[in-house]
Amino acid sequence: MQIIISNSSKEPIYEQITNQIKSLILAGELQEGTAVPSMRKLAKDLRISVITTKRAYEELEKEGFIYSIVGKGSFVAEQNLELMREKKLKVIEEQLIAVITNSREIGLSLDELQQLLKILYEE
Amino acid sequence: MENVVELKSVTKNFKGFSVENIDLQVKKGFVTGFIGANGAGKSTTIKMIMNLLRPDSGEVKLFGLDYTAHEKEIKERIGFVYDSNVFFEGMNLKDIKRIVAPAYKHWDDTLFYQYTDQFKLPLYKKIKTFSKGMQMKASLAIALSHHAELIIMDEPTAGLDPIFRRELLDLLQELMIDGNRTIFFSTHITTDLDRIADYIAFIQNGELVFNQSLNDVAENYALVKGGMELLDRDTEKSFVHIHRAPTGFEALTGNIKAVKNTFGDSVVIEKASLEDIMYYFKGGIHHV
Amino acid sequence: MFNLIRRDVILQKRLLLTFLPFILFFIFMDVHPTVTFLVANIFIPYNAFYYDEKAETNILLNSLPYTRKEIIGSRYLGAIVYMVLAVGVTSLALFALNKPFTMTDIAVGSGLFLLFAALTFPLFYILKPGHITTVILFSFILLVGIGPPIMSFLAEHLTAITDFVANLSLPVLYTGAVLAIVTLYGVSWGVTTMIYQRKSF
Repeated sequence: MQIIISNSSKEPIYEQITNQIKSLILAGELQEGTAVPSMRKLAKDLRISVITTKRAYEELEKEGFIYSIVGKGSFVAEQNLELMREKKLKVIEEQLIAVITNSREIGLSLDELQQLLKILYEE
Repeated sequence: MENVVELKSVTKNFKGFSVENIDLQVKKGFVTGFIGANGAGKSTTIKMIMNLLRPDSGEVKLFGLDYTAHEKEIKERIGFVYDSNVFFEGMNLKDIKRIVAPAYKHWDDTLFYQYTDQFKLPLYKKIKTFSKGMQMKASLAIALSHHAELIIMDEPTAGLDPIFRRELLDLLQELMIDGNRTIFFSTHITTDLDRIADYIAFIQNGELVFNQSLNDVAENYALVKGGMELLDRDTEKSFVHIHRAPTGFEALTGNIKAVKNTFGDSVVIEKASLEDIMYYFKGGIHHV
Repeated sequence: MFNLIRRDVILQKRLLLTFLPFILFFIFMDVHPTVTFLVANIFIPYNAFYYDEKAETNILLNSLPYTRKEIIGSRYLGAIVYMVLAVGVTSLALFALNKPFTMTDIAVGSGLFLLFAALTFPLFYILKPGHITTVILFSFILLVGIGPPIMSFLAEHLTAITDFVANLSLPVLYTGAVLAIVTLYGVSWGVTTMIYQRKSF
């Protein structure tokens, strides 16, 4: 499991960990039922304190990404990928509506907006 | 969560200095860093935890036991490293081991030689020929060789070169993997703590300012920068200490939410390092 | 406890090599056997104090799983153990060199040692480190140097006491002396333990 944390980032370290593990799960790199390293092992590997990995795992557990069995460790939970995708899509829709509203305000045409989106997407 | 060390309203008075009403818990399975300026009361507190000093009032418990009835049992489970050499200077490490080892029921010779090997410590050279770093490594090798559950260290990284400091932190992290060990150590090099401490206990002028998890410290404390016009008697209340300059103020807050509510986007809020926190609590500088 | 007593030997490993020459010196100088026994008895326990004074031994010992009672106990018991050993070695040396000595020499030498120990051991825990060795050295010279003249002075002038002592039969006198020394040693042990338990390091 590859995780890269940055000490100079504004994002707290535990959040960097949760986000990266989430992405790994959503991208299918971490399959359901796979064991994730114990929080103490992960802390040592990342050279950070145990309380930070503990916090990250607690968040992941709360959001249903992993589950823990006492004495055995933590594992990737079953994910309803379809549902997640739908949720994400809804968020994207809302954000796009906001973009459209803003564009209309400054008189940006659909063509121009599409072009802008194309450039940014391919960046 | 289980507390390995518990101090309840512990007070100790000396001429011209006292440690007052300390309530301190050290949680099992975690690293607690004990910070404070020189003379703030770190060593006094550690000595009371080790029963080298008796508090004038209050209660000291280790592993839920008190010293009057369970002194041996408690010390059997502690590994200690002090900032000065407490071993006989004229002796070599092998002889010191001969004196210390029989004191412990669970002394592990194999483990001891593994550490002396790892730390490249000569067994037949007098301790007084050791550098400060080597003396510390020797103390550490002894402290770790009897399967102690609690490791207490007074300024272990002082006088160590940066490379060994890192090696030491790696080693301590390795010790923490099984989850049964607890480490309590004092330091004034706060960068050591950013990496391995789970809890920070901060003492100043003989009083415990806080004992919080590293996350809570990061969530509560921050540096706030803004224009002088924002400060008045009410808004100043959100700060521990304010440093004023013609270009604006810089202050430490212990309540980020309150600052956000009061000032909104008119101020810059930045992460406060432990050093910042210690500095502002001390009162900072008052001139520009 | 045994470990604490054994500790003194490990600590003095090198110094112990000088023990025999030290004793032989006294023997060749034809010092009275009583005095030879006395200095032989003093050698190990007082050197131990000298070593401990230099290091932060109290911090070390009190951080190890020992109680303060045991630490003091090891001093008082250790002194007796090392006294027995020293008496043995010294007797052998005297015997090998064909120097005559009596049981009385051993008894008086050891008795004086215990008396001296009982009086000075507490000082090691009262006085500040650094001054202790000087004080002990001084009191030893006092004991050996002006002790006997004082005794003879007392003997001449306080006839009531000397008459009383002289009238006692030898067995009673010895038993009395042994009891007095043992009591004093015990009291000293108790007092030192009390002092030590209140100390801060």
